[in-house]
Amino acid sequence: MKNEAMNKTRWIELFRAIGLDDEAMADWHRAFEASYPNGHQSFLEWLDIPAEEIKAIRAA
Amino acid sequence: MYTVGQIASKFSVSRSTLLYYDTIGLLTPSGRSEANYRLYSDRDIARMEKIVMFRGAGLSLNAIMSLLDKEDDELHGTLERRLLDTNREIQALRNQQQVILSILGSDNALLNTRVITKEKWVALLRAAGLDEDGMLKWHMEFERTSPEAHQDFLESIGIDEEEIASIRHASKQAISHS
Repeated sequence: MKNEAMNKTRWIELFRAIGLDDEAMADWHRAFEASYPNGHQSFLEWLDIPAEEIKAIRAA
Repeated sequence: MYTVGQIASKFSVSRSTLLYYDTIGLLTPSGRSEANYRLYSDRDIARMEKIVMFRGAGLSLNAIMSLLDKEDDELHGTLERRLLDTNREIQALRNQQQVILSILGSDNALLNTRVITKEKWVALLRAAGLDEDGMLKWHMEFERTSPEAHQDFLESIGIDEEEIASIRHASKQAISHS
């Protein structure tokens, strides 16, 4: 998966624009982690998030 | 001039490898000491460097032997053939990987997949509370702020070309009506 124009900030803006608040996003990460842990990892890497932060997000 | 031991340690190969190369005529030391020990020249070292390089590329000793005595054109062709071979080997390994994953069981494979399909994304977004309207709005915002990433993203979750075009078209329509 190549990624030329997407990053964490933009993705969050996108989610906020459609009405997801912090809590909904946290729920979404938890659902993602529970159902597809490796897909979650790949997705966070796609957003160019540093390894340490990915760890924290997945553990939350 | 260098002894077998010196050459062996310089190239991290065993002495028996060097003796074997001599036996088959791949690398014959240029000289002998008074006690009849093998002695390698700088030219021999240069030849050995090429041998090691071609071994690293996976060429057989026979292929290397014929290569070292031929023109550059032949070298090119041989390396290109080797490149095609490695591509085929990689493809074969990928196929094996798929078979192994299917043997390990679909549940396990599903949990380990790094590929999130369209259906999985829809389910995840629903879990986050998005309905159909919310998803259309999401595509619209995606298209508006990052059209290229939108395309990349849709390709990455395995949606075919035609459906991508239709999703992006609908997104653009929604933008112009908003």
